[in-house]
Amino acid sequence: MIDVRDVSRSFGRTVALDHVSFRVEPGEIVALLGPNGAGKTTASRIIAGILAPSDGDVLVDGISVRADPGSIRSRCGMVTDQPSLYERMTLRAYLAFFCHLYDVADAARRTEELAKLLGLSDRLDVRLGAFSRGMKQKVAIARGLVHDPPVLLLDEPATALDPETARSLRSFIVSLRARHRAILLCTHDLDEAQRIADRVVVLYRGRVARAGLTGDLRADAHPRFVVSFTGDVATALDALARAGVNAEPASAENGYAALRFDADEPGTTNPAVLRALLDGGLRVITLAREERSLEDAYFAIVQEAGESNG
Amino acid sequence: MGKAALIAWREIRWEIFGDRGAVIRTGFFALLPILFVMSGRGQPGGPNDISILVLALQSTLIPALSGVALIASTFTQEKENGTLVPLLAAPIRDIDIVVGKLLGMVGPVMLICASSLGLFYVLGSFLFGGARLRDALPPQILFALLVLAFLYLITAGSWVLIIAAVVRTTRAGQQIAGLMIGLSAAIFAVLGIAAARIADGWALVGLGLAFVVADIVALEVARRVWQRGEVIGKL
Repeated sequence: MIDVRDVSRSFGRTVALDHVSFRVEPGEIVALLGPNGAGKTTASRIIAGILAPSDGDVLVDGISVRADPGSIRSRCGMVTDQPSLYERMTLRAYLAFFCHLYDVADAARRTEELAKLLGLSDRLDVRLGAFSRGMKQKVAIARGLVHDPPVLLLDEPATALDPETARSLRSFIVSLRARHRAILLCTHDLDEAQRIADRVVVLYRGRVARAGLTGDLRADAHPRFVVSFTGDVATALDALARAGVNAEPASAENGYAALRFDADEPGTTNPAVLRALLDGGLRVITLAREERSLEDAYFAIVQEAGESNG
Repeated sequence: MGKAALIAWREIRWEIFGDRGAVIRTGFFALLPILFVMSGRGQPGGPNDISILVLALQSTLIPALSGVALIASTFTQEKENGTLVPLLAAPIRDIDIVVGKLLGMVGPVMLICASSLGLFYVLGSFLFGGARLRDALPPQILFALLVLAFLYLITAGSWVLIIAAVVRTTRAGQQIAGLMIGLSAAIFAVLGIAAARIADGWALVGLGLAFVVADIVALEVARRVWQRGEVIGKL
């Protein structure tokens, strides 16, 4: 389990993290989102025990990163956005080297196990410099798993991967969640986060702008609804305007016209909308809440954070 | 220190012997004594004992110059390629990383220095006579020369570590290491002249003391510069 407690980190006068707190439970994937420079990489490096916080603390399985960064490092597996491999080494030698650094008992067996797991068994004696970008990223993942860590820190793991490899990587990450790993996924890829993250933490200029369940975040703030009907869109807009509801045309589905509107109080607004449309002689087909994509939610959160920061 | 040894072994096996360029560059420095001996300095009548000592000193220290370039490239490449981050993320102490890398570079270069001195001794025995070589270069002097080469490598290595922490690219690191090599070569040449004129061992003692002073200064600067947080911040 990762417990980030009020962590701050500065580099000279630059504040990279400013009183950040969040948790990642075992068997959970938390996506750390944010624009470039938001502090995602700094946060993952502090959790990994390779960078000390200026203030606050991080507990990994109850161990303080301040008190015992060495133990933290042996509990975390880190995958960086760049594979960062020693390209003159063969896959076998490379994984064995990291097995020894992490005090893995049977390095030869673990190396072969990981190569098999990631579909690289036939490349064990090939130099890493000859690997494709996707294969190199797989090696970086294998390196992070050599010691079978309970905590995984994935910093943009799918960067520059083709869609097929990225998809298989996502499945792999999800399979690790099923094995009760606590996984922190730092990413720009909102689609990836939406697909696999249980919870999302949005960082903006080193601060937590929003945190919550992925589903809640998408449904956050002003709920939006779409009503579809048969009839004239202009007539429907007039009818809603008279009822005091601001609506805009939405893309038509199944040949029906559609309007989109915000409803902070759906219990009051939605019946008013239905009544206005029916009174206007229109036949209502459906009225449903519009699911925001995580991308929409993310941009709204970042914009809000930007405005509140001036 | 087991992990430092592991890092050192990786450096030697994969970065030095895995890089043909590094092997050729180091080999070139190792063959320099042949040039010194064949240049026939001090002929006719052969060189005096001091000249033999100076030639032996240069045969030992000039191959050590290749170590400066090696150490510079290993650290700046680690930074440039991002390979330092997985290493720092492993449960090893900073000192193991630094010692492992230094040993990985210093070990093979010391071997080259010893081979170069040995080659000089063999060639010199043929050219100037075995008895003269034994008189000019008794075992304790040979040992002192190797210790001096070791001190030089540690000193240069420490300073190169400081450079590696500050510069961002391998190219910049190599350029500064090149300047260090040039400066060192000039110092060794001047030392040779000084030793020949002074005609006793004070120049060697002076060089040894200079290395020790440089080591102390380098350690203090390195302590300030090589703080994990500062280095990570620059990656």
